[in-house]
Amino acid sequence: MKKLLVTASLVAMMGTNAMAQEIGATFSRFDDNWLTVLRNGMVEYASGIDGLSYQQEDASDDLAKQIDQVKNFVANGVDAIIVNIVDTSAGAAVSAAAGDTPIVYVNREPDNVNDLPATQAFVASNEIESGTLSAFEICKNLRAAGKAGGATGYLMNGQLSNQAAVQRSKDVHDVIGMDMCNFMTIIDEQTANWSRDEAQDLMTNWMSSGEPFDFVLANNDEMAIGAIQAMKAAGMDMSVMQVGGVDASQDALLVMAAGDYDVTVFQDSVGQGTGSIDTAIRLIAGETVDKKVYIPFKLVTPANMGDYLAKN
Amino acid sequence: MSDTSHGTGGLTFDKTKRSWPNEMNILLALIIIIVIFEILGQILPYMRDQSFLFDSKDRFDSIFNEARLKIIILQVAIIGIIALGVTQVIITAGIDLSSGPLVAATAMIAMSFGQTELVNGFPNPKALFGTWAMDLPVIVPIVAGLAFGAFIGAINGTFIAFLRIPPFIATLGMFLICRGIALWWSGGNPISFPTASYKYIGSGMMPVVWFLSLAVIFHLIMRYTVYGKHTYAIGSNEEAARMSGINVKRHKVMVYTIASMLAAFAGIVLASKSETAQAGMGEFYELFAIAMAVIGGISLQGGRGSIIGTVLGAMVLGVIRSGFTYIKLDGSYQLMAMGSIIIAAIVLDQYRQRNKA
Repeated sequence: MKKLLVTASLVAMMGTNAMAQEIGATFSRFDDNWLTVLRNGMVEYASGIDGLSYQQEDASDDLAKQIDQVKNFVANGVDAIIVNIVDTSAGAAVSAAAGDTPIVYVNREPDNVNDLPATQAFVASNEIESGTLSAFEICKNLRAAGKAGGATGYLMNGQLSNQAAVQRSKDVHDVIGMDMCNFMTIIDEQTANWSRDEAQDLMTNWMSSGEPFDFVLANNDEMAIGAIQAMKAAGMDMSVMQVGGVDASQDALLVMAAGDYDVTVFQDSVGQGTGSIDTAIRLIAGETVDKKVYIPFKLVTPANMGDYLAKN
Repeated sequence: MSDTSHGTGGLTFDKTKRSWPNEMNILLALIIIIVIFEILGQILPYMRDQSFLFDSKDRFDSIFNEARLKIIILQVAIIGIIALGVTQVIITAGIDLSSGPLVAATAMIAMSFGQTELVNGFPNPKALFGTWAMDLPVIVPIVAGLAFGAFIGAINGTFIAFLRIPPFIATLGMFLICRGIALWWSGGNPISFPTASYKYIGSGMMPVVWFLSLAVIFHLIMRYTVYGKHTYAIGSNEEAARMSGINVKRHKVMVYTIASMLAAFAGIVLASKSETAQAGMGEFYELFAIAMAVIGGISLQGGRGSIIGTVLGAMVLGVIRSGFTYIKLDGSYQLMAMGSIIIAAIVLDQYRQRNKA
């Protein structure tokens, strides 16, 4: 009986405390490196906010599961939901599942971003920038190295079902389509599923054809590192090889520090993470917020890598 | 029944029916697949007269394209190590679905004791534990990883043998548990930058050295020891094996423990090869390991299959993967083609078995 009273009074206290807020978050994958940096940053940031209880779940790349998670959050009566959407073309379904509960989309842009109701918003970087920045820098480096007469290379795709992978590869093709960079030719492009060890094997397979090449572009750092490891194992001179990726992960920056890696792109996990929680809190308070907050990507090369070593 | 049936209640496979060993068929299939890629390389308009297996650009001392030969086996070596264990499990009429996530969990655990303190002059940004866990001798990550594998395998085996949980269910549960452990160990963060000695065990062609040495060892064990004979006997007819005095339960625990230790070793080598451990590693490895055994002519009903077959099955998958990259086939077609080949292997095998009976 005593226990019941204590519980009841606790519940009553929570009801009266205006600061007690609950945010539920669902992420497309828990084992993705960059998303883990984002997630951990958000847990840390949320724990520093008084009266905020923050809980996150893994959708394991399954859209149906993610929609169920959103519905479960609503059923549990959370005050706001943060969604790192599995499939960017399913924005309408996720938005509908939340009903009146505020939603903040983080990192990935849902297709309904222009039709979001007043209780929903979006905080992320514009994916078109990342692949473009990386490929264009490689193009400039190749020109500077006197290869404007013609350069060949390989392109490593992330998971073929992933929007960011598709977009980043499209960016590469768009850059190569420009007059300034049309001296670049892609010999072949294949997926290495974001993974370092698959990239090692893919690169070694490519090299076994014996075709000379000047550059390797990868949709993320992990694959770029795998390619570099394979090329070094084959005794290639990394100082003349141009390798570009995306993420600016700590592993990648240390490879860059060793002089093997040329270009990556920084995606601001802290900016996106804190931005999405702040937006959620303001939505709970009923404030109007910017529907679309873009946090810019930044180019990282050996010249400025020192600024990013401690960031992701 | 011939004299090959002694000791296990007449349940070992009958050698008189095996005038043409099954392994020869897989070898034949391997050669046919290589010839197909060789021909495709000659006739596809964009291939510019390259050769799949031979040195068409005079880069090597031998007539072969050595780089291709190496990668064909290197890319299947790590999953191949898992397949050696899966083969033994399937011969007992069991299955092990937990090996892929076990690879990831072991990679995380091993790498957390195999990190180096300084990377290119910078402190290791992925340090999981304090300096006490840095720059330890290479034996520490190996023993930690193998012990974890043995622990998981013993649990699998105990549930299957003593509590009579179907192997599919028990190892499916362990599949999820191990993926959870991999994620929990470092909170999803990658663990990177191994010591030089830990880096060595997965560098270059080392994974192939491990794979082939282990294959030879387990081939001998399965063929010539009591352990091997009992494994086949249990798979052929568990009840008969029990009545002929084999401690079936204890033996099953042993088989699952060995299989998980092999998967754990694969994880140790994989982390070394990639110089990082990540929770998402080893995805679908359990399925490809089973596929290698299946292409190698194993029977999912148990009692039939061999280590040599599995090694050849691994080679088939390696040749296919390299071949598809060689003819620049898109990744989505690769998956469809690989799936078709696995099914075709089983259909052919079933047909052969029926005709024999």
